[in-house]
Amino acid sequence: MANAPLNTKSNANPNATATAQPAKIETRLCAITFFARLHPGDVCGSNGLPLTPNSIAILGRAQRLRELEHENLCQYLDVIRGKHERTIVVSEYSGCTLEEHAKRSSLSQTQILRIFYQVACGINVLHAHKLVVHNLEPKHILIQEQDHVKLFNYGLYHMTKGGAYVPFPIGNIRYMAPERLLGANGNIKSDVWALAMMMLELLLQTTLWPKLKLSNIARKILAFGRSNNVLERIAREHDCYNLYQQLDVDVRALLERCLSVPLSQRPLPSELLAYPCFDPQREELRAPSNGTVDAAPLPLLLRCPLSQIYHLWQLAGGDVQAELKKEGLIRSEAPILALPQVVRLNGSSAGPKRSQSYLMDDRIVPLKLNTLVQRLRRLPASVYFPLIHSPRFPYEFAGEMQQLPLVIRERDIEYQFHRVRLFARLLQGYPHTAELLQREAAVDIPPLLRGPVWAALLEVIPNSSYAKIDKFTATSTDRQIEVDIPRCHQYDELLSSPDGHRKLKRLLKAWVTAHPQYVYWQGLDSLTAPFLYLNFNNEELAFLSLFKFIPKYLQWFFLQDNSAIIREYLSKFSQLTAFHEPLLAQHLASINFIPELFAIPWFLTMFSHVFPLHKILHLWDKLMLGDSSYPLFIGIAILKQLKSTLLTSGFNECILLFSDLPDIVMETCVIESQKMYESTPKSITHRKHALRQQPPQTLDIGIDDVELKHLLAEQCPRISAKDVLHLVQHAPGELALIDLRSVVEFARVQVPHSINIPFATVLLGEQRLDALNVPQLEMQLRGRVVVCVSNIHQHAVEFSQFLVACGILRTCILHKGFNVLHSIEPNILIST
Amino acid sequence: MATTPRSGGASGAAQRPNGTSQNKSCQFKLVLLGESAVGKSSLVLRFVKGQFHEYQESTIGAAFLTQTICIEDTVVKFEIWDTAGQERYHSLAPMYYRGAQAAIVVYDIQNQDSFQRAKTWVKELHKQASPNIVIALAGNKADLSNIRVVEFDEAKQYAEENGLLFMETSAKTGMNVNDIFLAIAKKLPKNDGANNQGAGAGRRLNENETNRQTNNCCK
Repeated sequence: MANAPLNTKSNANPNATATAQPAKIETRLCAITFFARLHPGDVCGSNGLPLTPNSIAILGRAQRLRELEHENLCQYLDVIRGKHERTIVVSEYSGCTLEEHAKRSSLSQTQILRIFYQVACGINVLHAHKLVVHNLEPKHILIQEQDHVKLFNYGLYHMTKGGAYVPFPIGNIRYMAPERLLGANGNIKSDVWALAMMMLELLLQTTLWPKLKLSNIARKILAFGRSNNVLERIAREHDCYNLYQQLDVDVRALLERCLSVPLSQRPLPSELLAYPCFDPQREELRAPSNGTVDAAPLPLLLRCPLSQIYHLWQLAGGDVQAELKKEGLIRSEAPILALPQVVRLNGSSAGPKRSQSYLMDDRIVPLKLNTLVQRLRRLPASVYFPLIHSPRFPYEFAGEMQQLPLVIRERDIEYQFHRVRLFARLLQGYPHTAELLQREAAVDIPPLLRGPVWAALLEVIPNSSYAKIDKFTATSTDRQIEVDIPRCHQYDELLSSPDGHRKLKRLLKAWVTAHPQYVYWQGLDSLTAPFLYLNFNNEELAFLSLFKFIPKYLQWFFLQDNSAIIREYLSKFSQLTAFHEPLLAQHLASINFIPELFAIPWFLTMFSHVFPLHKILHLWDKLMLGDSSYPLFIGIAILKQLKSTLLTSGFNECILLFSDLPDIVMETCVIESQKMYESTPKSITHRKHALRQQPPQTLDIGIDDVELKHLLAEQCPRISAKDVLHLVQHAPGELALIDLRSVVEFARVQVPHSINIPFATVLLGEQRLDALNVPQLEMQLRGRVVVCVSNIHQHAVEFSQFLVACGILRTCILHKGFNVLHSIEPNILIST
Repeated sequence: MATTPRSGGASGAAQRPNGTSQNKSCQFKLVLLGESAVGKSSLVLRFVKGQFHEYQESTIGAAFLTQTICIEDTVVKFEIWDTAGQERYHSLAPMYYRGAQAAIVVYDIQNQDSFQRAKTWVKELHKQASPNIVIALAGNKADLSNIRVVEFDEAKQYAEENGLLFMETSAKTGMNVNDIFLAIAKKLPKNDGANNQGAGAGRRLNENETNRQTNNCCK
């Protein structure tokens, strides 16, 4: 499987021996369009919120169809909303319709059976997914070479909730089963009826009721209820009783069963497939391909999964709406022309007739792929199948591309092509490729595959546990979840659709049920939203991603009483702000602008409550690669971006700034936080409540060593002896160690290259570095991690505070003081 | 009416006194409390920016906004703390109502539970908040009064018994939004600005007894 990223569907078809003609290549995708039903007037639902536009509801329902992949079904690729409730559906399309096919040449009985066997296969798959077609007619059956069949537009009934969301009826009345005319919808057996009607039309070489009006056709069909052999009756009515009598006995039996008016006598699709008259077809499909190799194989590009092709088509400049406009399916008219000429006081109006362009038009617009094929023509075959384990990896593609801003990279078709192929490959190999995946994700993540890539970065391994969690039993949290969901990222079409609401509710309830130790805190909804957005059709993946994400970054945050955790987190945030932005920290502390007032929503939701989705995606792309301390640096990066305003503002201005956060440049924010994250020794971010992979070692800061009271009392963070040791041994140029002990003690034993400033000699009143009378002190501290070391902890605390006031960057305190350095083996101390 | 709510603006510098520069000015800290999703943030948004968002997002922790209005010759600046409604965030609430001179307790007229919750908030404020705090009860979502559950008279009576200002409001239509803030501003003592007087602990003065006409202001 790993070496077959080809479109498996073309392989699965044993009959795919045909030559691919260039003309066919161009029509692999198509678009259809219709209008969703408008809500009359400005109506609000019972909750006071406006009703969700039907086009959004359709968009939400249609997502599920995109997951269906079967050789007898055209794949759904996208649903797009236009203006005025216009809905556009993009799907696979190839070959010609059965309607045209039958016109072109008369079909043999074998051919007809071959076609309808495949139709039945398609229906059977849909039935397995609890879907019905209710839209079957010859123009929705596509015939490719070798009579390979795909059903088209089979999801219209589902996506429009049985037609409730659109102002037109669904299905061709000629093929409609009697029970549907009576209003009983939703049974797959109605589709079996339609199949039989189409089949008999071909077998009897006739057209059903070509001249009758709709109402008369309906009457005819309803009259079948009094008939005990519908098939014979139709044959007689259409003057083809002879053909009827010549029909193969098995075929006749099949049709008669399928056209039974009582549903109980009609077969299910699966039963249909087992009928004896389909025996040859079954054999044919079961038999291995007869060995003929494609004479002219498809271009490599067209063997990629359709979702990738469609994505690249869009990047190549493909615009579905523009294509529809070209075909005249979307016509824009000056709104002024639609103004009524007379409006009566009772509200009725007279004026121009409703424009024709609002009527249903079922034309199919092909989306041409030749531009895309041209654009990628020169790519060598090797890039389609990146060799991730060859010694040449990482291959040399687009080194200079990676210098460009992310937004440009995300829109560059060739770059995305490489990234998508590479990540698709890596995902196929996951979890064995986890390390490579991590490395590549650090460069960037292709938007098309973000959902599964995130899941892989979070070490998710789907295990069907989600299905087993109770998401339905009512709980006391339900009301809160229900009032939060309609407020959660509702500018997004998917999340605002009724399906989106249902899914989010299920995810939240599942999370709460799966964590009896935790409770639902407002904000969990925002936190879940990005995962749902990316994995809309894969709730399990969304759930497991959330399931892994929370302990990694928000361990204990969702406890009933989380105050200790939040206070610790925010204190650490203050300390780290002092570490990286001493002057800003000093200012904020002086105006009493504490993180409790603004940063709780930042961290509790990992910024998902603060930023719109598109920004969160880029932010989390990087967040996923860092550990539990990474979000703290994002917070500092935000402060940094607003620094100039904050420094000149008082309390009110500052808090106002954060109540209505100004536009943050995400890329700068990400780069800044990354820089700080990398330049901060790990122990600096120590938190008691963080999730630990391994227990602390002797030179680490112990889990319970630092209490909240210490955090509150100490402006600067503590560093572990282990990190100091690491700096001494591996990066002495990045360390400035200030030894606060007396001259005598210092002379006896010291860390090499440390600076001795005896605490007793300094006056901390004046907040200037010069006051210390150490020559070129600032030079010696610049660009380094400044570690204050003393035997007396309080001295280090006070001195570090002094350094912060002087604006010295990256000041910290050695945890456990100088004496801990004695315990290091081998010894690093010297004496003079 | 002599009120002109003006944009607070993000800069905080927009509170220019209307017209003459001789206006007296007062600052008051006001806190909004109430059950989740009753419309606290929407009320503030309507009052401060004149806007209404159908899908106003939930508030986590709290949000802070300011708005300045003029009453007669006094400029009153409200510093508004809009709090999270979820019961779990309750522990944060004292941080916001401590030292507040005014509070608006909001409920949703189509939700009985939110009215009960409002009563609990009022009790808590009487017990814990500054004794002179001016409390207003707002029955929000009055535009949906055809499907109301909490009767106007019931709430009105409760408010009278407890010495609260009371109005039914609609952040969506704007009904009574400015009025409730204005009523609070009128009821607030303006002679000594933000200071608490310390008298009458636990008992509310009713409207006539407050020195609403006193205009000899303030800081």
